[in-house]
Amino acid sequence: MELLCLGLNHRTAPVEVREKFAVGNTKLGEAAMDLIALAEATEGVVISTCNRTEFYLAAERAGEAFAKIELRLAEKIQVDSSVAAHFYRLEKIAAARHLCRVVSGLDSMMLGETEIFGQVKHAYGAALDAGATGAILNKLFQRAFGVGKKVRTETSIQEGSTSVGNVAVDLAEKIFGHLKHSEVMILGAGEMSRITAQSLVSRGARSIFVANRSFDRAQELATEMGGSAVRFDDWQSVLTRVDVVISSTGAPHTIVHREDVEKARRARKYRPLFFIDIAVPRDIDPAVGEIEEVYLYDIDTLEQLAEEARGRRQLQIEQCECIIDFELAKLNLPGL
Amino acid sequence: MGMDRWFLLAATLLAAVGGAWGMVSVHGGKRSHWTVVWMIGVFLCQLGFLGIRGEMRAACPLMDRGEILAFLAWSLTLFYLLVGPAYRISLLGVFTAPVVVIFQTAALIPGTLTAHPAKLPGSSAWHETHSAMSVLAYGALALAAVAGVMFLVLDRQLKEHHLKSGLFKNLPPVRELLISLERLLWLGSGLLSIGIAAGFLMPRTASAWGHLIAAVAVWGGYLVLLGVKQVRGLTGRRLSLSAVVLFVLSLLVFAFV
Repeated sequence: MELLCLGLNHRTAPVEVREKFAVGNTKLGEAAMDLIALAEATEGVVISTCNRTEFYLAAERAGEAFAKIELRLAEKIQVDSSVAAHFYRLEKIAAARHLCRVVSGLDSMMLGETEIFGQVKHAYGAALDAGATGAILNKLFQRAFGVGKKVRTETSIQEGSTSVGNVAVDLAEKIFGHLKHSEVMILGAGEMSRITAQSLVSRGARSIFVANRSFDRAQELATEMGGSAVRFDDWQSVLTRVDVVISSTGAPHTIVHREDVEKARRARKYRPLFFIDIAVPRDIDPAVGEIEEVYLYDIDTLEQLAEEARGRRQLQIEQCECIIDFELAKLNLPGL
Repeated sequence: MGMDRWFLLAATLLAAVGGAWGMVSVHGGKRSHWTVVWMIGVFLCQLGFLGIRGEMRAACPLMDRGEILAFLAWSLTLFYLLVGPAYRISLLGVFTAPVVVIFQTAALIPGTLTAHPAKLPGSSAWHETHSAMSVLAYGALALAAVAGVMFLVLDRQLKEHHLKSGLFKNLPPVRELLISLERLLWLGSGLLSIGIAAGFLMPRTASAWGHLIAAVAVWGGYLVLLGVKQVRGLTGRRLSLSAVVLFVLSLLVFAFV
């Protein structure tokens, strides 16, 4: 009995190919049973996320199993044989190591991301419930989950935010703690503002105010985020109540001046105020950051912090690989 | 060396080790989960010290400078144990431990603590209330000053975008620090009010007037600070700086008055 993995991911296949092989969350168990039938294998698990579709199998002969799946999948999904070039084929220990890397977030587009762990766990659970797994895959997946946990607890692979939006949200939490008591104002209804504000809302921000030169667009975004639209000329009056301001207008000059903030300080009782300026050219006069209770971060600073976090994660890869090799060496599996 | 001093020495060593352990953890980017355990040990040893001194005095042990410093360190530890874990401010312990070490080391300097304290027959209840409440108040105010220092460190790091240190990662959020700081100031001022009221009711010698006037001045300082914060508002930096400066000033005042 041999362990094998056939898959494609964001590195080997463009989205138009990946989407053809994508399997819905509710159909993973059924897909695992189909896979066993297609490959004439004894065990199978199908993992499908937006960045990858992978088939894990325990079969008598790997070479034959690969050929059967590729041929029959191409027929079933009605794609030509050129898609075969997008697949990677891994056998025995290489397949096991790959699964551990996937579960640990080492193979993800965003290195060290944690969502994949839950996605693989769900895929395995579906296959287990459908009766598509046996001694080999059960042992392999259980060990991979153990390795994934160990990698995350013993290294810093998931530490630090690697996107501008997440860095901004982490900083907001460092200033205000839980965001459930925080109010947010967005200046300019651009895409970056929307993404950052959504991250804040997902972490509990209480209410959102949207100010935009086009009031219709402000209303549109406010409705989408469950907030309120504000006329652009009125943003100064809202400044007295909010805790976070995200600015991303397309204006060629600064929008928020030191005097604007100075005027609001008394009414705010000098509470901390966090400005996130993600516009280029900048919307917020750097002098605003000199006000005692104001914390001002522009796009360069946020990007630099995200880049540093990405760099720190890269440095952890070697340590993660050592943990994986060490744990796999202890795995006494017949298919390896 | 008497058993009381052994207890105080043990409390000082535990605080020193706990503080150092916490600092090493924080420097390495980890939370110092054990700080609270070390500080519980410190607290128990302080209780041992105060218990023995109380029996020797047959009164609240607040008669010499050493006892006052030890009582202040105990009060500081008590408020840390009440506030730190409740607000999950484990780092407060790392900042509190060095202050406890300083107070207790000063108390252990030969001559600061009376070696054979005399029993105090017929001690006034108002006098004891005044002493105990005042020192308890200074414990809360000391912890407010510690929280103020933590805020000033975090504020500087956020302002200057220095966000990589283990200390930054472990410091509690700005808003939580400011809330704790303000509550501690209210608590300390409330206890000090009781202490001062008791001070006016206790039998006084002429020399006690200077001490009482200094206490009223300190109390007034804290009330003005809280009044300004409440009515007009204050930036975190000014509130923290004021809490630290007022506490240091009050210690200096009582060292000389």
